[in-house]
Amino acid sequence: MKTRSDSGPVLDKGDVLLEARGLSKGFPGVWEHLILDQLDFDVRSGEVHTLLGENGAGKTVIANILSGYYEKTEGEIRVKGKLVHFRSPREGLAHGIAMVHQELMLVPAFTVAENIMVGLDAPLFSYGIAGVEKRIQRLVERYGLQVDPKARVEDLSAGQQQRVEILKVLFHEPEVLLLDEPTSLLTPSEADQLFVVLRAMADDGKGIVFISHKMREVFAVSDRVTVLKLGKTQGTCQIAETNEDELTRRTFGETVPDYMERPEVAHEELALNTIEMVPSGLEKKPNSQGISLKIRCGEIMGLAGVSGNGQTELIEAVTGLVPPASGEVWILNADMTGRTPKEFIERGVAHIPERRREIGIVEQMHVAENVVLKDYRKTPFSKNTVLRHQQISSHAEKIVEKFNALVPDLWQTECRILSGGNIQRLILGRETWRKPPVIIASHPTEGLDAKAIRHTWELFLALRAEGSAVLLVSEDLDEIMSLSDRIAVMFEGKIMGIVDGKGADREILGHWMAGGTASAA
Amino acid sequence: MELTHLWGILFISLHAMVPITLAAIGETIEESAGLFNIGLEGILLFGALAGALGAQASGSALVGLLTGMGVGALIGLVFGTISTSLRGSQLISGVGINLLALGFVALMLSVMGAPGFHSVAREVQVPLIPLGVGNLSPLVPITVAVAIGVWWLLRRTQLGIWIRAVGENPAAADVAGIRVNRVRLGAAVAAGVLAGLAGAYLSIDWFGAVTKEITAGRGFIALAIVVFSGLNPLLALLGGFIFGFFDGLATWVATYPGIKDIIPWQFVAMMPYVVTLAVVAGMIGRVRFPSALGVPYLRE
Repeated sequence: MKTRSDSGPVLDKGDVLLEARGLSKGFPGVWEHLILDQLDFDVRSGEVHTLLGENGAGKTVIANILSGYYEKTEGEIRVKGKLVHFRSPREGLAHGIAMVHQELMLVPAFTVAENIMVGLDAPLFSYGIAGVEKRIQRLVERYGLQVDPKARVEDLSAGQQQRVEILKVLFHEPEVLLLDEPTSLLTPSEADQLFVVLRAMADDGKGIVFISHKMREVFAVSDRVTVLKLGKTQGTCQIAETNEDELTRRTFGETVPDYMERPEVAHEELALNTIEMVPSGLEKKPNSQGISLKIRCGEIMGLAGVSGNGQTELIEAVTGLVPPASGEVWILNADMTGRTPKEFIERGVAHIPERRREIGIVEQMHVAENVVLKDYRKTPFSKNTVLRHQQISSHAEKIVEKFNALVPDLWQTECRILSGGNIQRLILGRETWRKPPVIIASHPTEGLDAKAIRHTWELFLALRAEGSAVLLVSEDLDEIMSLSDRIAVMFEGKIMGIVDGKGADREILGHWMAGGTASAA
Repeated sequence: MELTHLWGILFISLHAMVPITLAAIGETIEESAGLFNIGLEGILLFGALAGALGAQASGSALVGLLTGMGVGALIGLVFGTISTSLRGSQLISGVGINLLALGFVALMLSVMGAPGFHSVAREVQVPLIPLGVGNLSPLVPITVAVAIGVWWLLRRTQLGIWIRAVGENPAAADVAGIRVNRVRLGAAVAAGVLAGLAGAYLSIDWFGAVTKEITAGRGFIALAIVVFSGLNPLLALLGGFIFGFFDGLATWVATYPGIKDIIPWQFVAMMPYVVTLAVVAGMIGRVRFPSALGVPYLRE
């Protein structure tokens, strides 16, 4: 990837296109800190200016304010030196400021051209689709965005849909483009293609604001970078004058360790034991065979594999959500085959699910309610079937505090408005505070920032030291290799092999993940 | 059967098609924008009463039709406001419209004299177009034109793109600068206008009277047609004609000497409703509706 710092004109001579001074945003009395606190920021013609920060740092809020989607509380915004006040995204667009949102803001049932027409300021009864398609074609050629204007959006890949989002705003010939974590849905190679496009747009004289929390991307595409932390800027610098270590320190304060040392597994007792178990849904796969997985107390078993190879079905079987098609599931020397999820919970099986919003929490319920979702029947949280508000509050408060979840209010905030990372913090707290003997964790750190990932890993190791068994299901081989005592690899519903975590050979694991049968010896 | 009988059934079918189709097309606009109004039946009833009163007060059928449309627009506006800026339940406000109409119209009919029935003088009814084989209401060609016009509006105009975008993904429409609630409110009013016109047609054109049962579930049949059509106004026209045919057949059987003695008219009168059930049962799940149908939009 070519970066601007080693070629092309000097950038800080570029005109300032968009400038914010003393920008603040806050819901007084709700949050303990302002979402944005006296922020200064600018973007110049011809540059890619990256906003870097962990989840909840306020990156998205800045972009939303600059583009006119949110109102600011304080501060001033200037476009080419002229003071502006946007009341809607349309006014922002009229001043040449366009935003590409993190979630795709597309109509799946529409074609690419129809999606772009949604944002046109055309007469009510006109229908300029032919002209729109032609103009899309020209933009596609100018910036190398490969998209067919007549294609239906729901038939496109995530990378192509992202390009439609960019086309949508390019159509208005903006001078400043704000992109909020545009790579979150993309594969690494799609992301690289996007960077080429961003560079082409910057070379065209546009100012690009790129929001990210991934270090690799920052260095791949930026000219300047501004680090944001809890709503405050940690300074702006040229990318050439900094390095990864420094930025990481400024962003997160700490770094992620590679390997977590720990003592030998101390117990012999089996916490989770599946005997020739075929999870429901896998029995119809060709040459399906029973899974025999034995995890001791105080052991972390990593389950690696490309997702969709039966991990979900296995998890459903060992948490009691779906009874297995055949075989047995034992938890702490009790045969739990065919028992209900509630009995699994009471036996001490904690579940940190992959689909957090769907099955991890009840989105419409409040924070405190979600925190006691699995304990509300028990003392001290209820007495004679009546919930005890005080007890629940103080418990929820402890969990929120311990896991650093950003939660405006325990009883006012519905969980659906929380970010994915904060929801995960609540789930981690709810599932682990009782120090359960068995923890089934699926992608537990996905969407968390580096600091929270480290806390989660430390939490798992601490629980391990207390005798909890952990089944860690993840696609992230680094996480599996840092954390696991033993590593099992799953492919097409089968366990391809199990190796010790310490000194595990990444190549062998990769081979098994692809369905190979090489031995680990 | 003689040819005149066939003409007779065709004319009755076309006349029965009008109210169902108009209401269904209105609902199509509204559902395209993401609002689900179960209160069509009530708007039809209000429109029937308003049409009759308007026509009698002014002595003009045209004013009667306009009065029906105006009252429909008003109810659409109330429903639209509840469903958008007030973020109320669309289901409950729709049911509320139906119940209000039932009670209000029954009350008005009692107040106006004969409880349950109010006839409209021939002079203020919509004049029919005499054709060689029978008399046709001008609302029949108007309904066909409305179907084509709304199809064009939804599928071939910038406004149609906006209406459908608001129903499919209001957040995306909002970001694009569309006033989501305003578009939805407009769609609700348009739906009210068409349902009000359909109601006025019942009282001052087709039946020449107002009864409290005048709508006879046609608002709900219209909802079924919307399902059948998959929000395509041209298919709604076709569906309206099919239901109209059974409706017309029932009327014809019930009144034709000779036949009414052989087939019990109650049996034939059941037909439109049975067909409704069958069609809805068969179409559900096959037709794609806007993603945000029935969901109030709230910017977060």
